This record gives sequence, C-alpha cells and structure tokens, in this order.
Amino acid sequence: MEKAIVVNNVSKKYKLYNGNKERLLDLITPKSYGEDFYALTNVNFEADKGDIVGFIGINGSGKSTLSNIIAGIIPETTGSVMLRGEVSLIAVSSGLKEALTGRENIELKLLMLGFNKNEIKKLEPEIIEFAELGTFIDQPIKSYSSGMKSRLGFAISVNIDPDILIIDEALSVGDKAFAEKSLEKMREFKKRGKTMIFVSHSLGQMKEFCEKILWLEYGTVKDYGTTEEVIPKYEQFLKEWKKMNNNERKKYRDDKIAENMKQLQK
Amino acid sequence: MKSAWKVIKEQIDHFYLVRRLSVYELKSKNKNNYLGTAWELINPLIQIMIYWFVFGLLLSRDDVTMGGEPVPFIAWLIGGFFLWTFCFQSIILGSKSIYTRLRMLSKMNFPMSVIPSYTIFSQLYVHFATIVVAVILYQIMGFYINIYYLQLIYFLFSAICLLFAISLITSTISTIVRDFHLLLNSVLRMLIYVSGVLWPLSKLEAFPRLLNIMQLNPLYYLIEGYRAAFFGTEWYFITHWELTIYYWIIVLLLLIIGASMHVRFRRHFIDFL
Repeated sequence: MEKAIVVNNVSKKYKLYNGNKERLLDLITPKSYGEDFYALTNVNFEADKGDIVGFIGINGSGKSTLSNIIAGIIPETTGSVMLRGEVSLIAVSSGLKEALTGRENIELKLLMLGFNKNEIKKLEPEIIEFAELGTFIDQPIKSYSSGMKSRLGFAISVNIDPDILIIDEALSVGDKAFAEKSLEKMREFKKRGKTMIFVSHSLGQMKEFCEKILWLEYGTVKDYGTTEEVIPKYEQFLKEWKKMNNNERKKYRDDKIAENMKQLQK
Repeated sequence: MKSAWKVIKEQIDHFYLVRRLSVYELKSKNKNNYLGTAWELINPLIQIMIYWFVFGLLLSRDDVTMGGEPVPFIAWLIGGFFLWTFCFQSIILGSKSIYTRLRMLSKMNFPMSVIPSYTIFSQLYVHFATIVVAVILYQIMGFYINIYYLQLIYFLFSAICLLFAISLITSTISTIVRDFHLLLNSVLRMLIYVSGVLWPLSKLEAFPRLLNIMQLNPLYYLIEGYRAAFFGTEWYFITHWELTIYYWIIVLLLLIIGASMHVRFRRHFIDFL
C-alpha cells in the first residue's frame, strides 16, 4: 500500500519565557533563556493512501499541533514529515479577510493556493452553492455569523479537491443539516480514495467515520490502531480521568511529561 | 548571494500572483471608506498642501534653481514629494507586511518573499495616479512634457528594487522584534527632512562635507532623478554616473543581506507570532 503520510520522529519545542527580557536575551545571546516546552515528543505515525485517521486525546495532548505540522503551517523542531499530494487544512478559524466580501475571499484564497483565473471562475460557483450563503456572499465577512464563516471556509477547502484533508474541529460549528452535507462530501472523498485526518472530541463521529485512531497523550503517541481497538481503551481512560481530582490529574500529567523528557534524552 | 538569486527568481515565477494580490490588498485596505481607494490620492494631496502652506507661504521659500532656471517652490516640492510618499508608504507597509498577514496566509502555495513585494505593488498603483496628477499640474504651471520624462521609467524601476530590498530586511526584523516597526516609523518621519524633499540640499553648499554625506542617501538620488525628469534639466543617471554606481551597489548589498535574512528565518516566522 502506498503511504500518503509518514511522520518520522517529529518533536515540536516551544519556549516559554518569563517576560520580554528573557525573550530578547534568548534571541540575541547564544545562551539559552526560558523554559523548554515540548508540545510533541518523538511522534511516529504513518497513514496509507485512502486512510481515514482520527486524532483523539484530552486537551493539550498535541492534536492540533500535529495536524498543523502535517499541514505545513508550523515547522517541526526535529524529525521529518513526508507527504504525497496536496494538503488542505480546515479549521474553525480558517483565515478569511474580514473587510472583503465572501466572493472576494473565495477568489483571494484560491489565488493564494495557486489556481489560475479560469480555474477560479470554474470553482467559484461550486463553492458558493456549497456554502449556502445566499445573498450574503456579496457582503463583507465581518457581518457573517460564526456558522456562516466556517461554512465558507469548509466549502473552499473541500472544493479545491486536495489529496489529503485535515479537519480540525470544523464540523462541530455548522448546524445539523450542514454537518450532514459535509459528512456526505467526506463519504464521497472516502470513496474516491482520499486520505483524511479528523481532529475531534466527538467520539460518535469518529466511530462512524474513521478507520484508524491515533491517540495522543501529552505530545506522545499513546496508541495507534483500528477504531475498534483504540476507542474502547480511550473511553476506559476517559472514565478514569473523570474520576481523578485535580491533584491526581496534575500528578499524572507531570509523571507523563517527565517520562517523555527521559525518552528524549536517550 | 544564493538566497538573493532565489528570492529574485521567486518574484519572477509568481509575478502574476503579485499583480493580482496587490489589487485585493488595495481594495481591502479602503473597503470601509465611502471614498474608497480615492483616499490613497487625497492623503498625499492634503499633505502636500500643508507643506506648501507652511514652507511656501508662511516661511516664503525662494524659487529653486533647476538647470539654471528658477522654479517655484511648490512645483519643485511636488516633483519629489509624491515619490517620497510612495517610498514612505512602501517601507512602512512592507515592514509590517509579513507579521500582519501571516496568520491568514498560513497555508499557501507561494513563497513568502511575495508578501512584501505585493504590498509595494499595491502602492505602485497609487503612485501611478499621483504621477498623473503631478504631470497635469505641471502642464498648468508651464513645465511641459519633455524627452527627459523617459528616465522616470528608469528611476521608478530603481525605486522598486531598493524598496523591495529594504522591505525584505525590515519585514524580517519586524516579525521577530515588533518594536523595530515603531522605530522605523520614527526614523522615516525624520528622513523626509534630510532627503532633499522639503528643501534643496544645495542650501548646504557652505558645508561641502555634510552635503556629500547627505547625497549618499539613496532616496536623494531617486528624488533628484524625478525632478530632473519633470523639469527636463538633464539625464540625471548619466551626468551623475558615480551616484548611479553607488546606488546600485547599495541596492545589491541590501538585497543580499535582506534575502539571506528572509530565507533563513521564513520557515520560523509563524513561531514568532
């Protein structure tokens, strides 16, 4: 089977500074200031062409960081990401220009994605129809509701026909009817053998849709396997997690992070 | 050197994109004003009236001698002022071009070096409009279109090269250290007084050394070139060939520095937001 995504030993380090002084010193002096924070540590994961992978994990586990790295929006600190084909990321806050109208935003976005005039002309009506914005399409984006914005963002990303699609919590915004329509589009993509990544907290959607699940915990891969295998384990974990009080949770977290750091030093 | 070449090639490959994006840029900037893009023209016109009122009327400046002929101060001012506005706006907007757009541009299929150049281009349309205004004013004042106008093309091209090189540097630094943009703002406001926009540097004839130093300002070269064209005095870039050589060395140096900084940091710009 052809690999569509190969993530090899990826780590992402952020620096946490106490104020601007440290930030500046770190920038201009060779000595290191500030505290290192690893959002991802040695993540390995592969997806075949046509796979539908769900990313799960509690808040702060690195799901969005990993999907942003795969989409090429933020750079990895170490490791490498190999992709076969075009990637498109759909997030709730997909960059739209507030002052421009919906139509202008579509054109601008397509232009930036490297489409030429004719292709844009062809795609535009399809996107407008999918987004169901009616007369609002010629109004500036700032007058849109959040649902309308995400619908437009979703419509653009879906209609440019990417090879790899990453959906970061974007389906939870629209109403039922639009979510159903989006899922329909996803099914169509699935049939056509496109690779997709879902990032969501909704286990129901995951179960229905994903074939594989990647479970992230504090920046490392806790488990990766088929949906039937991983989801029950995760549900079990969530139950325990809910029972823990704040101190226990903190201890659990600190232990895991210490473990990660040890791994990293090896 | 290698990065400079790479950045130039990126500009050529994505020239279509630069042109299209610059139009959207201008549109979205003026979307909220009823007069829209007209403000881009009204602004410099108001400014020039202020300077003319203060320096031309209140402080009653003498006529400036251009190629042996006396030229009224207002006419002389216009020649350089519109170019100055173009440079000023391009440097300011170029400097903040990357960090203000990075979030919305996060996913794109074009190199980041296109961002400063399309902001400069969007200012270029405005500059064309101001040149037209200037030429009309000159016809009224009696300085007619002449063969020396041809060098405007050369000087405009030179200006774009300089501005692009500068904005590669400033946009990189401003993205990493935001304070730099504020500093640049103040420095530029000061620069108008020493670039030969508001008073002729020939007033410094008594201090030849100071005069020589001030002529090293690349903006001075451009502004004087514009005036030589409008008043039809000389082929400025030939008669002042030493300044021409000096100018292009400066542009090349800035471009090499700017391109290598830009290429080195561009992958990590998003981490600085």
